[in-house]
Amino acid sequence: MKRYLLRWETALLAMLVAEFAIFGMINPRFLNLSNLLYSTSDFAQIGIVALPLTIVIIAGGIDVSFASAVGLCAIVFGIANFFGMPLPVSMLASLAAGAMAGLFNATVIHVSRIQPLVVTLGSLYLFGGAATVLSGVVGASGYEGIGNFPDAFTSFAYFELGGLPAPFLVLLIEAAILFVVLHYSRFGRSVFMCGLSEHAARYSGLPIKTIQTITYVMTGVFAGVAGLVLSSYFGSARVDLGTATLLPAITAAVLGGASIYGGQGSIIGTLLATLVIGYLQQGLQMSGVPSQISSALSGALLVVAVALRHGSAVLADFVAARITATNRKRAAS
Amino acid sequence: MLDFFARNRVATLCAVTILAFLLIGAAAPGYLSLSTASVVMSNSLVLMSVALGTMLVILTRNIDVSSGSVLGLSAVVLGMMLNDGHSLGLAIAACLLTGAIAGLINGLLVTMLNVPSIIATLGTLGLFRGVMLIMTGGNWIEELPLSLKALADNGSVGFSVLTVIVIASLIVVGLFVRQTRFGRYFYAVGDNREAARHLGIPVKLVQIAAFVAAGVLASVAGMIFAAQIGFIPNQAGNGLELKAIAANVLGGVSLLGGSGTVPGIFVGVIFLTSIDSALVFLKIPAFWNDFIAGAVLLLVLLLDGRVRMAVDRAIRAKRYAVHHHNHSDQSAAPGSDVLPKTRIQEAGK
Repeated sequence: MKRYLLRWETALLAMLVAEFAIFGMINPRFLNLSNLLYSTSDFAQIGIVALPLTIVIIAGGIDVSFASAVGLCAIVFGIANFFGMPLPVSMLASLAAGAMAGLFNATVIHVSRIQPLVVTLGSLYLFGGAATVLSGVVGASGYEGIGNFPDAFTSFAYFELGGLPAPFLVLLIEAAILFVVLHYSRFGRSVFMCGLSEHAARYSGLPIKTIQTITYVMTGVFAGVAGLVLSSYFGSARVDLGTATLLPAITAAVLGGASIYGGQGSIIGTLLATLVIGYLQQGLQMSGVPSQISSALSGALLVVAVALRHGSAVLADFVAARITATNRKRAAS
Repeated sequence: MLDFFARNRVATLCAVTILAFLLIGAAAPGYLSLSTASVVMSNSLVLMSVALGTMLVILTRNIDVSSGSVLGLSAVVLGMMLNDGHSLGLAIAACLLTGAIAGLINGLLVTMLNVPSIIATLGTLGLFRGVMLIMTGGNWIEELPLSLKALADNGSVGFSVLTVIVIASLIVVGLFVRQTRFGRYFYAVGDNREAARHLGIPVKLVQIAAFVAAGVLASVAGMIFAAQIGFIPNQAGNGLELKAIAANVLGGVSLLGGSGTVPGIFVGVIFLTSIDSALVFLKIPAFWNDFIAGAVLLLVLLLDGRVRMAVDRAIRAKRYAVHHHNHSDQSAAPGSDVLPKTRIQEAGK
């Protein structure tokens, strides 16, 4: 029992419940079930990219380029669609573009041996620029979007199964898959090993490069998924579709318990953190708080939550040290 | 010769920049002129100031991604004070104080609460932007007085008061980190925090000082922004923090802390900014901008890393050959493969 109560995920769940209670008191309409379900469509994309990002962070890397990879994949889809490709082919092309982007990141990181933050910062510009240039190919110059998608595609984001809207469903399925991959597979264990100690992982014969490459490719592919979901939701593919996910997604991963130094983190944590962040924004909006204040509050939330986490770790160490000290004293007397 | 470039990323970047300038000058006559230089310089002032502050933080092995929001917030403080009828001096003082307080918040979060700096400043990035938007109520600040805009005037000399301020802060910071005891602490703290602590260096104070300095320099950038543009939009400074980090990396500042120079920052910023003006001269549409900036950044990093590794290998092979005259050809190859571990650490720096 104690084992489950003291977990960080429990704290996140408590945060979520507290959010529901507070916003429910301010505006009872917030707790309307259909409202709760449908508002996920506004932030599902954050979770879609934050989940694989968590795995990258656990493996000791970081990726900030996913924000522009989302736009790049959406544009690739738009172009494929523009040139009359069938829908499945266009979608595959978009996911392949994401995989290529991830592979590119991993290759540059391994060839140059430069910190991942720097490399992906460079590719953040590169992918964003590539998307802008590509969108110029079909005449949507600058920052206009590519539209005219088939109805089957645009209705996807509004499709629902068992009451769950499609974007949220995508997020849940993705979380289920990644949960098994990260926590119940050999690959997942080696991801943690890589992040905890790269040297130890290398000496125990793990293919570090392959493992890290897979994590980056996963992030790229899911950036493609996010790009598709967003294009379907908005009805057009734009270059800047993903830029707004950059900070919330990193926030979700970190708030969810991923250690920026690697070796720590969980899928459930990131999923819960995504809901906490998303519902915070939705709830503030419904309580009539201007969007500018909600952005300040979500920044403050991140700082406070992480400070609390570090503070509570220090406190727990302190308490444990006191208990052992008194025990020892008691044993001595 | 090769050895020199391998040790000196600033020299590499300088050479690349000059080569790029010459190539663009050959392709577009009229590019290489004093007026272009003047435009590049005044366009680079905001980024220069932010990047300089970011460097101080990175030297201590932290990172500051909140500088874009600090810029916006302090520019708004400046603009609102001026539009309320306060004097220019008082408004600028308040603007700089805002930056210092913002930096202090970052510094305290990192040192006292032990929050990793990227997380802390990511949080304050949102926080400061939000505070700024609350202050303005989401409106742009317009109709700034002429006294402020006059600061950005190039006049007859070809450079403005702002240029002088930025150059002066470059020199001051450059001398500070090279010549003063407290300045050298920045490198020591970034290179090995534990060792620095054991030497009696006030590790926490140094880190807080770095964040405060970064905040002040970001607010200087905010002042420059307001003076140059003449109004303050909501997104003022958005995304600038990433550009500043990119300029740092280009300029040879190691994100692992403990190494980096002010001349490096200068060249890095000028390089990033001159891409913009070069595109105009080469008549390339502006939307290629990000693509080229990203490609150049990655290319320089890759080349730099590869050249450094190759030179290291050559030096090792040479050293090895002195001891084994007969087998120099065969033994050089395994010799270069045996030692990659130390090279990884060096290349990472």
